[in-house]
Parts: sequence; C-alpha cells; structure tokens
Amino acid sequence: MIVRRFFVTVFAATLLVGACGGDPPPPPPPPQPDQDSLQRYNDSVAAAEAERRAEAQRLAAERAAEAELQRAVRAARATLEEMVFFDYDMSEIRDDAQAALRAKVDILRASPQVQIRIEGHADERGSTEYNMALGNRRAEAVRQFLSGFGLAENRFEIVSFGEGRPLQQGSSESDWARNRRGQFVITAGANAINPAN
Amino acid sequence: MIGTRWRVAAAVGVMMTGLGVSAAAAQDELPGVSLGLVYANSYLPALAVQPFTGAFGGDMIAPQVEAIVGRDLRGSDRFEVIDSLPDAMVGTQVDYALWDRLGAVWLVTGEVEGADDGYMLIVELHDVVYGEVRDRGRFRLPAQTDDDFRMSVHRTSDEIVRWATGDPGMAASRIAFTMVGNDGNKEIYVIDSDGENLDQVTDYNSLTESPTWSPDASRIALASWKTGVPRIYEVDRFGTELRALPALRGAGDYVTPAYHPDGRTLAFTVNGSASQSGIFTYDLERDCCLAFLSGGPWYDISPTYSPDGRWLAFNTLRFGDNVPQVMMMPSEGGAAETLSPYEYGGSGFYAAPDWSPNGDLVAFHGRIDRRGRYHILVANLEDGGRVLRQLTSEGNNEAPSWAPDGRHLVFAGERSWGFGLMIVDVATGRVRSLLGGLRVDLPDWSPALPPA
Repeated sequence: MIVRRFFVTVFAATLLVGACGGDPPPPPPPPQPDQDSLQRYNDSVAAAEAERRAEAQRLAAERAAEAELQRAVRAARATLEEMVFFDYDMSEIRDDAQAALRAKVDILRASPQVQIRIEGHADERGSTEYNMALGNRRAEAVRQFLSGFGLAENRFEIVSFGEGRPLQQGSSESDWARNRRGQFVITAGANAINPAN
Repeated sequence: MIGTRWRVAAAVGVMMTGLGVSAAAAQDELPGVSLGLVYANSYLPALAVQPFTGAFGGDMIAPQVEAIVGRDLRGSDRFEVIDSLPDAMVGTQVDYALWDRLGAVWLVTGEVEGADDGYMLIVELHDVVYGEVRDRGRFRLPAQTDDDFRMSVHRTSDEIVRWATGDPGMAASRIAFTMVGNDGNKEIYVIDSDGENLDQVTDYNSLTESPTWSPDASRIALASWKTGVPRIYEVDRFGTELRALPALRGAGDYVTPAYHPDGRTLAFTVNGSASQSGIFTYDLERDCCLAFLSGGPWYDISPTYSPDGRWLAFNTLRFGDNVPQVMMMPSEGGAAETLSPYEYGGSGFYAAPDWSPNGDLVAFHGRIDRRGRYHILVANLEDGGRVLRQLTSEGNNEAPSWAPDGRHLVFAGERSWGFGLMIVDVATGRVRSLLGGLRVDLPDWSPALPPA
C-alpha cells in the first residue's frame, strides 16, 4: 500500500508541472453537415433496414410454409402408417378401418413414388398355422381395398406374421383386439410423400 | 333340433390318469356328428423289469440302461410296468414262479457287457405265464458320452415293444417344435421322446414356424421370416442349412411344409401370391416341377400326407375366414371332401390336421366347447370321419402330431400353470407332460430314428 501511494503522489505532481507548460492548440472547426448527403445516408439506411425486414419476413414466411409442409408431410406419413384393426377370425375391412384406409388413398394418389408393405397380424387364439393364413387374408383385404381406388397393386406388397408379432403381450380381449391388425411400412418414396390436396 | 345335437357317447372304460373328464358336459351343436370320449376297455398286461446285470465294465451303466428301458416301456402305455425292485428280492436268476406271484405277464432281463469303445446289451423277453423266453436280441450301445447313447437304448425298448405286441414303439424318436425366446423370436428346438436332450436347432433371430421331419429323419423343413418374409428352408438336426426353397411362385408367404413319404416331394402353402394361392408341391430331388394342387381366392394350408402318399389332408378357409375346416384330396390334386363336421353355412373351427402313420386316423384340433377352447380330436377314416374322438378336456390343446407308433400324439397344451408339450395315448386317453412351462408350439414327432 505504501508503495502504491508513493506512485500516485509522483504522478499527480507530474501532471501539475505539465499543465503549467503553455496554452493548448485551438480545436478544429466542427464540420458543416451536408444536408443532402445526410438525407441520402439516412434514406439508404432506412431502405436497407426495410429490405432486411422484408427479407426476414419472407424467410419467416418461407420457414413457416416449410414447417407447415413438413407438418403436413409428417401427418400424411402418420396417416399412411396408421394401423387398422379386425374382428376376431375375420379379414373383412371394418367401418372404422375403411375411413383410415380412405385417408391413405388420397395421400397415395398425391405421392406416386410411395410404396407400402402391408403386414397382417392375428391374435394368439386359434391355430398358429391358421393365423398365418388369416394374417395374410387381412393384408390381402387391405391391398384389395386400396387398389379398388385405382392405385396400382404393385405399389403394395403383403406379408403375414400370424400371431408371432403381437403388439400387446397380454391375453385379455383388449390385448387381442389390438393384436388383430394391419400394419403399414413405407418401403419406397418415404422422402416423396405429398399431403393430399 | 333332433339329429343336430351332439350325441355325447358314454365313456366306456375310460382309463385315464391326470385327466378329469366329464363325459356329460354339454356341447355345442354339431350336425351329423357324434362326439365321444370313447376308449376301448383296455387291459394293460403287467411287465416286470428284472435289474440288469453287467460284465466287463458294463456293470457301471447297467442300472442306467435298465432305468431308461423301464421308463420307455412305461411310456409306451402298453404295460403296467413293475420295475425298481430290490436285487435281494428278485435275485439274478430268472424265477418265473416269483414273477407269476407278483402278477407279471412279461419279464424283461438284460445284461450289459463292455465291448470295444461301447457296450453290448443282451435283452430277453420272457413269457412268465408259459415260463419261457419269447424273444432275445443283442444291441450295440456306443459309449455313454456318445450323442447316440440314449437313442440306442430307446431302440432296444422299441424292439421289446415289438416282441410283446407286434406293434412298433416310439421311444427312439425326437420331437421338433417352436419356442418363443425372451426377445419374442421363435426358434426350432428338438427334444427326445422321453423329454431328455433339449437342443436348439435354429438361431435365426426371427420368427420360425412349422418344423416338419423328413421321412428318414435326416432333415427338418421349416418356414422362417429371417429375410423379412416367410420362406421355406431345410436344415439338419443341428440347424445347418441344407436348402432354401426359392420363391417359385413369386411374392407371397411360403409356409407350412410337409414331406411326401417318398422324401423327395415337398408340399407347402403359398399365401397371398399375386397369381395363385394354395397348396403346391415341389420335387426336391430334381429341383424342379412346381405343381399347383389346390386353392384359389380362398386359402388352403397345412397339408399332411397319408402314409401311402396317395392322399393329402389339409386345412381350408374356403367356407369363410372364421370356419376353417379339414378336407382331404388326392395327393396330385382333385376333388376334395370335408373330413371335419361341416355343413354349408354352419359354424365350427377345425385346424392343424396330421395323418397317422397307420393311415386310418387323422388328428386335428377344434374349437368345440362354449368357452371357445380348443381340443384334440381324432377322425377315423373308416367311418368317413363322422365320429370324432375327443382326447383332451381341459385347457387349450392345439397342433397334434403322431408318434411313429400311430398311437401317441404330441400337442401344444395350455393349462392354468402355463404352456407345454403334452403326449396323449389315443388308445387309453392317458395324458402326460413332456415339457412344461415354456411357450412352445407346433410340435412335429419324428419317424422312428434309424441308428446313427
């Protein structure tokens, strides 16, 4: 502390000596503003600002549109992949399944590159080998339903897993109801899904 | 309603253990069919097994060999077996008077001698009533560590059954089946007919279904989803892949293989083919000649050949998805007739047929009670399948497969305690558990195994 105080004292003394050395030089005259150039300058700043804002808005809108499209594509994909369910020992398309399949038809029409594998499943009851056939019957019923709307049959492949790949492990009626299902796997054109118009 | 009620035939002389049967249980209506829990009033002769003796090192394994034989003979369900008697009681000499007092009709004696790397088993079957040797034979056994040791003893047991009854046994055989693992996949396993030597055959990490033995028991055909879609493969007992059947008919599910008794023709099902679904055959030996037998817009599945190869029984969905029926047709295709009790527009669920090696019976399962449970049924072809015998009465019971003796069936059972493979003796109705507590399915009993 003592050392520091010593230095401060010396520095102050030096300043005092210097101030007493003579008059300072006159300050330079302030520049006279050129009104025209100032206006041009301000205008250009405003224009750039507006342009930037417009660009930002355009980008935001673009992003929003893109996000909206992505959301729609995701929704379309979810619609394509939505499972349908069947009654016990039946391959008939139920009413609720018809609505779900109808929604797929519109998307598939708008997305000609998309191909789908339809997987048929059965619940655990009954004969294991019979269930292999029943699962295939269900997948085939879905394929027939979809191609009935003019979609090319070769856009769909079908496979049955019988009772071998249950969605739910339990053995209650609600488990079985979830296991009697058609599942949809997009095998081609996953990046070319267009939402239905 | 008259004539459309199930007539539950009275159970005559039902001899069953561990099987509570209520013959008067009300059944659903089934037109034109009588259903019976009917067994011949069977008498089982008592067969005694005298402690086996040994020589030249054979004494070390004589008790084990004797135990295997005793268990096999008990499992044949043809005798009341008297064994595990103390040596002091029965001695080493054959004492017909003693065995007669104990009620034995047959007596089996055996001696195990060390020979080369293995043993020689000398077995005699005595007729106690007449006090004479009925038959004798010498059977070579490999070393105990040999993979074929137990099977060799089983072959001896089957020979004793043949001496005593004139019929083949089924001890020297294995059963292939599917089992679900912790990962949810299904693989093929085999187990000896006496529940020993459980071996995993496939390791596809996939769904694997419908194992079926070739007639010489050297191959197993199966359906696997290992490529994503079901295709048919042939493997040996150790899972080595011998053949992958190509997708001969284009896209579709290739499932439910069955060997023709000639071993060179394979029948199988194609489901969901763009061209034609149904049952096909393929010549494995010439690797050609796909033939379409039966099917169409409906599905025909699960073929099984008659032992003479002239007929095929199968399962059909042609009457509707929810009323699968068992039918039979000539094995080259042709007009099919129903074997399960179905009348047009009626109900009934029958599946998974298997033709007996004797040719006279077809087993399948049916949903035949009000609770929607499945039971093992046997149709006798001599009366046109109009009389069904119900062999199970509790739990769920599916996918029967005949033993090489044409008398036992293995099936997948579900009980309150879990799942398991079970064996029923068609003659007596006796049911026993082969493998319990595991999620097992689709058993297929091998033919009699020839010596390795």
